[in-house]
Amino acid sequence: MITVSQTITLNDLTVNFDERFQLTNINWELTTGQHWMVTGANGAGKSALAAVLAGAGDIIAGAVSGLPNTVSIVSFEAQAELIAEELKKDDADILDVIAEGTTVSEVFERDCADTQLALELADVFGLGSLLDRAFRKLSTGESRKMMLVRALANKPDLLILDEPFDGLDVEMHAQLQAYLKKLSQTVPMVIVLNRLDECPDFITDIAYVAEGELGQQIKRSDEKAYAELYQLLHLKTTDLEVPAADPENPIPTLDSAQPLVNLKNATIKYGDTVIFEGLNWTIQPNEHWQLSGPNGSGKTGLLSLITGDHPQCYTNDIFVFGFKRGSGESIWQIKQFIGYVSTALQWEYRVSVSIRNVVISGFYDSIGLYTKCTDRQRQIADEWLALLGMSERADQPFNKLSYGDQRLLLIARAMVKHPPLLILDEPCLGLDDMNRQLVLALIERICAGTETSVLYVNHHPEDKIKGIEKYLAL
Amino acid sequence: MANYFNTLPLREQLEQLAKCRFMDMSEFSDGVDALKGKKMVVIGCGAQGLNQGLNLRDSGLDVSYTLRAEAIEQKRQSWKNATENGFTVGTYEELIPTADVVLNLTPDKQHTAVVNAVMPLMKEGACLSYSHGFNIVEEGMQIRDDLTVIMVAPKCPGSEVRAEYVRGFGVPTLIAVHEDNDPKGEGLALAKAYAVGTGGHKAGVLMSSFIAEVKSDLMGEQTILCGMLQTGSLLCYDKMIEEGIDAGYASKLIQYGWETITEALKYGGVTNMLDRLSNPAKIKAFDLSEELKEIMRPLYNKHQDDIIDGTFSRVMMEDWANDDKNLLGWRAETAETAFEKMPAGDVEISEQEYFDNGILMVAMVKAGVELAFETMTAAGIIADSAYYESLHETPLIANTIARKKLYEMNATISDTAEYGCYLYNHACLPLLGDFMKGIKSDVIGKGLSLDDMGVDNARLIEVNTALRSHPVEAIGATLRGHMADMKKIV
Ligand SMILES: NC(=O)c1ccc[n+]([C@@H]2O[C@H](COP(=O)([O-])OP(=O)(O)OC[C@H]3O[C@@H](n4cnc5c(N)ncnc54)[C@H](OP(=O)(O)O)[C@@H]3O)[C@@H](O)[C@H]2O)c1
Ligand SMILES: [Mg+2]
Repeated sequence: MITVSQTITLNDLTVNFDERFQLTNINWELTTGQHWMVTGANGAGKSALAAVLAGAGDIIAGAVSGLPNTVSIVSFEAQAELIAEELKKDDADILDVIAEGTTVSEVFERDCADTQLALELADVFGLGSLLDRAFRKLSTGESRKMMLVRALANKPDLLILDEPFDGLDVEMHAQLQAYLKKLSQTVPMVIVLNRLDECPDFITDIAYVAEGELGQQIKRSDEKAYAELYQLLHLKTTDLEVPAADPENPIPTLDSAQPLVNLKNATIKYGDTVIFEGLNWTIQPNEHWQLSGPNGSGKTGLLSLITGDHPQCYTNDIFVFGFKRGSGESIWQIKQFIGYVSTALQWEYRVSVSIRNVVISGFYDSIGLYTKCTDRQRQIADEWLALLGMSERADQPFNKLSYGDQRLLLIARAMVKHPPLLILDEPCLGLDDMNRQLVLALIERICAGTETSVLYVNHHPEDKIKGIEKYLAL
Repeated sequence: MANYFNTLPLREQLEQLAKCRFMDMSEFSDGVDALKGKKMVVIGCGAQGLNQGLNLRDSGLDVSYTLRAEAIEQKRQSWKNATENGFTVGTYEELIPTADVVLNLTPDKQHTAVVNAVMPLMKEGACLSYSHGFNIVEEGMQIRDDLTVIMVAPKCPGSEVRAEYVRGFGVPTLIAVHEDNDPKGEGLALAKAYAVGTGGHKAGVLMSSFIAEVKSDLMGEQTILCGMLQTGSLLCYDKMIEEGIDAGYASKLIQYGWETITEALKYGGVTNMLDRLSNPAKIKAFDLSEELKEIMRPLYNKHQDDIIDGTFSRVMMEDWANDDKNLLGWRAETAETAFEKMPAGDVEISEQEYFDNGILMVAMVKAGVELAFETMTAAGIIADSAYYESLHETPLIANTIARKKLYEMNATISDTAEYGCYLYNHACLPLLGDFMKGIKSDVIGKGLSLDDMGVDNARLIEVNTALRSHPVEAIGATLRGHMADMKKIV
């Protein structure tokens, strides 16, 4: 734990790392009694953030204060550095050829404040028989342990461990967990971890890093926030692909030379109140659009002209997916080409139905499931649940899910059939920061992995989606 | 005009009453084809008219509205409903002559006048459809020989007809062809296509007759559906006040209690509703309902008899001719009841508490559902039909009471249902007078006390067996099974 005198403050900090990477606008305080876990997707900057505490990077703006005297860090970078130094020595000392290189015990003697402790710890971690081995010759796991011992025996005031469990076997993993737990009573720690389920019990606080910024800071004891973070990390880090469409029941192919949507001189009015008029809009296949406008400008109305949910779609000149509206087509023939998510849909989705069936209902464009689905559809739904990290909850009722989870599930429902057009009407509305990031992460994966045109409606400029190049403002 | 049913020989009466078949999904494989490209003109744009029309249009059919001239001139609500939803609206003269199908969705009371006005304007060989057979069966309306007459009757309020369609489902629907008016033999094809257009085929369609529909619909709505819930509300409220229970609490327990307890019916019938009670409470509710059934059976029989022999409709039509004097008077009385005037209190009542403190309400629902079902089937109505007209619709009316209490519930339901509801209520209140004297707050308002918590095993087994072996449970399980096959959500 961190004592009062050792409160560490990072204030509006911007740090450069070899021009390659930048951490920006970091505000972070590590105080008494805390042990932190730092997490985030690969490349998000979590290791960089931890390394800042050990003095890494060039501070461009802001300040770090309250750093203790001895900070030890165990990371792949530090390990690589040590090996690089050794190799340099190798090159330099041509005459006095080093056959073996520096031994493990030499490293301890050279680098550790308490060599005796290092030797004891070496025993604990099963390095006892390797003390005379050149550390360059150690296996990855063994050298990891050596780095740990080296750091611990330095009696640090702050210990930073970057992925300390990587490359350790099960037994070692358990041993290290136990040791750190004991150590946590005396030494404050910052541990960088990719996976939340490795988070040691003694961790009190979790920092989430995304794209070089410090996103969320949550208390370990906040179960709801913890669960959301879990899911976010899952989405950001899982290797699963966006599940394929149902090959047995494909959506009819559209003429690629024709626009998906063509509105001519579109108007919506209620009584004498005109919401908008004279609007022309063409959406070509594979175009991504962002639609924006203030409240009441008719964004949702415009969308529902396309989806067929607005009764005035029959009084406008609308061409969608090869149909001139009002020419004898049914709305189910239109809806089969559209995936749709909105807050209103979430409100309307109040039938008692399982999580899995919500996803399956996307194949039928229904709210609730009223048709016996195929085995294949069920399997695809399960793949989506795996992507969302909800596999275990597949049979639980939808209405018991958190608001944010419901939204994620409705996006999966909209995408399950790989529609030519995916309409996201303010998909982040009503969501807290964490859930917003979750939803955006999912949408980005969808945009990247499919041929669906995305129509994104939103008035938060910060909720940008990569890949959207066309804009319509109402 | 004579009561059509009464003109038929007994043999045919029985045959018509017993007409009811649950249709297979495969019978709807032609979809809306039989109506494709035909011009459908709806008369009236109220609860059924608007919502059925929206569904039919979204199913790719050509729908427009005709309203009486005053409604168009005064831009009444019905005119707004149609125009704001982007439908063409015209007078009878403008639209009826172009119509291949005319959908009469005006209030039943107006049917004679409406049909007399539109019939001369209808095309040779066109189709006239209804959503309730009162006009044909009870008033004996004679339709031109060249016209096809069908019925497509959704077994739900108009708002549900739309809401379920939008979800991708539908509501259970009854269809029928008036055999005296099926000159081209196309009535069934048209009715099936219409049911597909409203989404009804997804939730289950009963192929029935005008007569079975009317006689069962009237029976259900005036007894268990509206009558029992109205009488039960008034009696339970007054009893709770008498027992010193907080008026706001009592009002809330009733207003929302019917909805909560009948929600259990939807999922697992009367058995499930009683299974929601503790064992001692279940036995109590069972005993009360047995008592209630014995007291009320003659009343249910009388309602059914009056419906079958036409007395009910004759008396009601006399009131129509008398400017609804009775109906409006009774409606005003409903507004003056103590329950109606007491708003629901700002108290938290948990879902389970509605059961635990509403044992008598559970008993009333059970007694009403079973009596209505038993009486209808004894009169020759097929169980499927009797189920839809009793148990199936109870939660829907209960939901209306939750939203609107009694006065508005009565204003919302059809005039026919409302008239029958008052008749039932007037007869049932005094009938249950003695019974209510024995009732205490343990079965309405407070729940059983701890000393009543003993249960005799043998008695419990008896009660459970009796509950589960009632015929409404068997047919209910089958029909809900059909729904659940399609409706995996339950
Ligand atoms: N409601 C239900 O739950 C339900 C369920 C199944 C079947 N049905 C049946 O559906 C039919 C319609 O019932 P509803 O509940 O939809 O009725 P409703 O809501 O009262 O609507 C009746 C419509 O008819 C119009 N209308 C009234 N009197 C008229 C007249 N004399 N001439 C022409 N138009 C007139 C009204 O418009 P204006 O007054 O503005 O002209 C209104 O638009 C009935 O046969 C009923 O039994 C109802
Ligand atoms: Mg009815």
